[in-house]
Amino acid sequence: MAEKKNGPTNVLIVGVGGQGVIMVSKVLAMLCQNHGYEVKQSEVHGMAKRGGGVFSHVRFGSSVWSPTIPVGEADVLVALEWAEALRWINYMNPQTGTFIADTQKIVPPFACRVRDRGADAMYSEETPAEIMENVRAGYAMDATSIAEDLGNLKAANTVLLGALSNSLEFSVDAWLEVIRSFVPPKSIDINMEAFAKGREWAQAGPKRVDENAKGRGVSGRDLHKQVETKLEITEEWCKGCDICVKMCPERCLRLNDQLISELHKPDACTGCRMCEWLCPDFAIKITNTPIMEPAE
Amino acid sequence: MKDSVNEAEFQINDYIRLDQMPHFLCPGCGHGIALRALLWAVHELGIDKDKLAVVSGIGCSGRLSAYVDANSFHTTHGRPLAFATGLALARPDLHVIVITGDGDSLAIGGNHLIHACRRNLNMTCMMLNNEIYGMTGGQVSPTTTSNRYTTTTPAGNTEPVFDACALATAAGAGFVGREVTMQVTGLKNLLRDAIAHDGFSFVEVISDCTEIYGRKNDLGVSPEMMLSQKAGMRPEAYRNTVDVPFKPNALECGMLAKNDRPEYGATYRAMVDRIRGKGA
Amino acid sequence: MAKRINLQGNQACALGAIAAGCTFYAGYPITPSSEVAEAMARELPKIGGTFIQMEDEIASMGAAIGASMGGLKVMTATSGPGFSLKQENLGYASGAEIPCVIINVMRGGPSTGMPTRPAQGDIMQARWGTHGDHAIIVLTPASVAECYSETVRAFELTERLRVPVVVLIDEVIGHLVETVDLDALKPSRLVTRKFADGPAEGFEPYAVTDDMVPPFPRPGDGYRSHTTGLTHLPSGFPTQNPSKAEAALVRTTDKLDLHADLIEAVEVAECDDADVVIASVGISARAGQAAVADLRSKGVKAGLFRPKTLWPFPEAALKAATKGAKAVVVPEMNQGQMVLEVERLLKNKSVHGLGKIDGEAITPAEIVTRVTEVLA
Ligand code: SF4
Ligand code: SF4
Repeated sequence: MAEKKNGPTNVLIVGVGGQGVIMVSKVLAMLCQNHGYEVKQSEVHGMAKRGGGVFSHVRFGSSVWSPTIPVGEADVLVALEWAEALRWINYMNPQTGTFIADTQKIVPPFACRVRDRGADAMYSEETPAEIMENVRAGYAMDATSIAEDLGNLKAANTVLLGALSNSLEFSVDAWLEVIRSFVPPKSIDINMEAFAKGREWAQAGPKRVDENAKGRGVSGRDLHKQVETKLEITEEWCKGCDICVKMCPERCLRLNDQLISELHKPDACTGCRMCEWLCPDFAIKITNTPIMEPAE
Repeated sequence: MKDSVNEAEFQINDYIRLDQMPHFLCPGCGHGIALRALLWAVHELGIDKDKLAVVSGIGCSGRLSAYVDANSFHTTHGRPLAFATGLALARPDLHVIVITGDGDSLAIGGNHLIHACRRNLNMTCMMLNNEIYGMTGGQVSPTTTSNRYTTTTPAGNTEPVFDACALATAAGAGFVGREVTMQVTGLKNLLRDAIAHDGFSFVEVISDCTEIYGRKNDLGVSPEMMLSQKAGMRPEAYRNTVDVPFKPNALECGMLAKNDRPEYGATYRAMVDRIRGKGA
Repeated sequence: MAKRINLQGNQACALGAIAAGCTFYAGYPITPSSEVAEAMARELPKIGGTFIQMEDEIASMGAAIGASMGGLKVMTATSGPGFSLKQENLGYASGAEIPCVIINVMRGGPSTGMPTRPAQGDIMQARWGTHGDHAIIVLTPASVAECYSETVRAFELTERLRVPVVVLIDEVIGHLVETVDLDALKPSRLVTRKFADGPAEGFEPYAVTDDMVPPFPRPGDGYRSHTTGLTHLPSGFPTQNPSKAEAALVRTTDKLDLHADLIEAVEVAECDDADVVIASVGISARAGQAAVADLRSKGVKAGLFRPKTLWPFPEAALKAATKGAKAVVVPEMNQGQMVLEVERLLKNKSVHGLGKIDGEAITPAEIVTRVTEVLA
């Protein structure tokens, strides 16, 4: 893809904390720099370990003024996580943009709207095929599984870079050189292979959906087994400090008129154990018994 | 050298002396939460209670040893680390855990703390920092925040505070960490790593004294104190980020220092073997 | 074959400790007791024991007690200022009944005093140094051989009775070198505390037993008991119930009365017909011995009463030894400490002190002069 006459090339890279969004954008930025382009990269990170969204704008060209990509002007959207891909899809240029997304799903904590243990998480229900119908060009690929087959889940990012390499006009050697300088020495070989696999997968056509993508999603059901919660309070030990009452995320405890803790909304209790853990007097005991899955 | 990890679910009642309950701490005192975290860590490491020795000093923290179903020693003010040093050298087969407070270990027992750090004998010291001498009615301690009121600082504390973790690190402790009671699972994990560390490990727990210190300084009830203590911490994950979204004066928590210096007991025993080998 | 060697009093304490089965020593350098630590640092590793020099006097007392709580035979040594610092933990050992031996080599005081000069100013501190009513045993050897044998006895008593034992020597005895026959001194048996071996269920670490010395629960043996310096019930847990608290305290002091025969040891010489008895300990008693010989040669019927166990004071033995005496003279390197106890016990006798605090030992001539004065 040639550089647009009237402006820089815009690549938006998105994912969730801990996936390596920053690493991917650094690889790209350095590659562009090596080729004499002016590069601007701006990012939001810091949500590591919390499943929070992380994004990075990479813009390069003969001259770049603004560091951020306006809505509808990304030439390529690279998404390391499926829901993040959908969240940012409107940034893609509808006429010329290319969509590259891993189909893996990482369910963020805030998707658990219903806090009952075992409740399904709220997560986009569109299938990759449905999404791909609405984009001009791109790939919904199971990069994570490809990387896993190679023996290192973390190489999924490099698989996506391989796919991205088809959309930008840098030589394969230039890509590999930069990648080599970023990955730990012991995983160079795997990353080289991952790049080749990603590139190969994308070369098979301008628009491809991996119909077999496992979409390795995690549902709430997998995260938290459904449980039956029994909450017992040793009244003689309770000193009415109010900690359990105030710290219960569901506000289902209260102090009775003797200033002893009691469960007044048993139905709201999710069995999270917060009250048990924070009671300084060991007065609360939670017993969670897993419930057998009802047959489908 | 540590026991294997225990998969069974943790039940606090298996680790406390039920006939001593309810314990004597005030309502909402964070020490109880810290004790849970400690025993939980002991459980996860699969430590045999018969091989567990809990040594404490004097003060509110000192009373905790009596509630642990283990070999427990409630010693003199400021000296639990000295007693524990003798016990740990005498009985390397025991897991020695010291429970102490800010007054006990930083004021009257400060000398023992720095030398325990330096010596690096295998034991774990859990220091409960509630910024106050609670047992004696609320006097200023080496960690009382500036300007706060205590019975001996009626116009507000004018003395600077000790950073116990910085002290322990500088003195050479093998493992140093800090956590708030609100993060009870994080505290448990930290204590577990501390106990598993081969050498002297020091964990500072930011605990709340609601009844005396909190009341005197309008810090709110226990849940409020716990939440504000948590808000005052700077989690480990953000320790080295450049774009710091937290207060610059926030306390660091999590594991703060770890070094694998030789453990003193093993070093001494190796010397003994050498001497005896030569003699034979 | 007799093993005769030249030995210093302080070193004899160390060798006596090793012979008695001591395997742990914690100490802190202080004149004039440092040779005890040095000897222990050299000897303990040879027998697989542990020596540690702690960060201060308080810590060394604490570490020694800590090791004893772990089941070992332990010792520490110190002198005046250090002995003052050890007092709180010494009280702990007494209250919690943790066996330990403390060597205190007395030097001039108060405060830093005269560190290299002898004194006997800790006689009352050894008995009453820690706060509260408490049980304690104090032994006062008067020769190098006795430094050895009394240290052995100190271990026997502390292990048997679970009472801290102070071996109180003065700087002269501590630094005295004499020829001793180590083989002859070697203890014929080893006394080790009675460890609990019954069922753990319902075990009471401070139960009232016939001998008033409860068996010691060794950590790791399954008893998981509680040890505290708070006044405690037989269960080991604190109490403030007046009658229970008193009973618990009284047992620890009464056990010394019960075992008085085991504890008491005196040397009585030529007291049967004595008109004047010289009662003294340590180096002053040796001067007293010479004074007795001198007085006898001058026709004065003098005798010597020398407690080897100073505290609890051998009351009956003192009364027996002084039965026919008209006067009792108590030479000691202080302004009058032991004499207070002798006066208290011998209300109807004429008891006279001979104090000296100039950093020099009392000479036989000074005692002879004093006795002559008294009899005049
Ligand atoms: S946290 Fe515990 S002591 Fe406090 S009110 Fe709740 S049950 Fe009672
Ligand atoms: S387990 Fe406790 S804290 Fe959690 S929801 Fe139930 S009552 Fe609330």
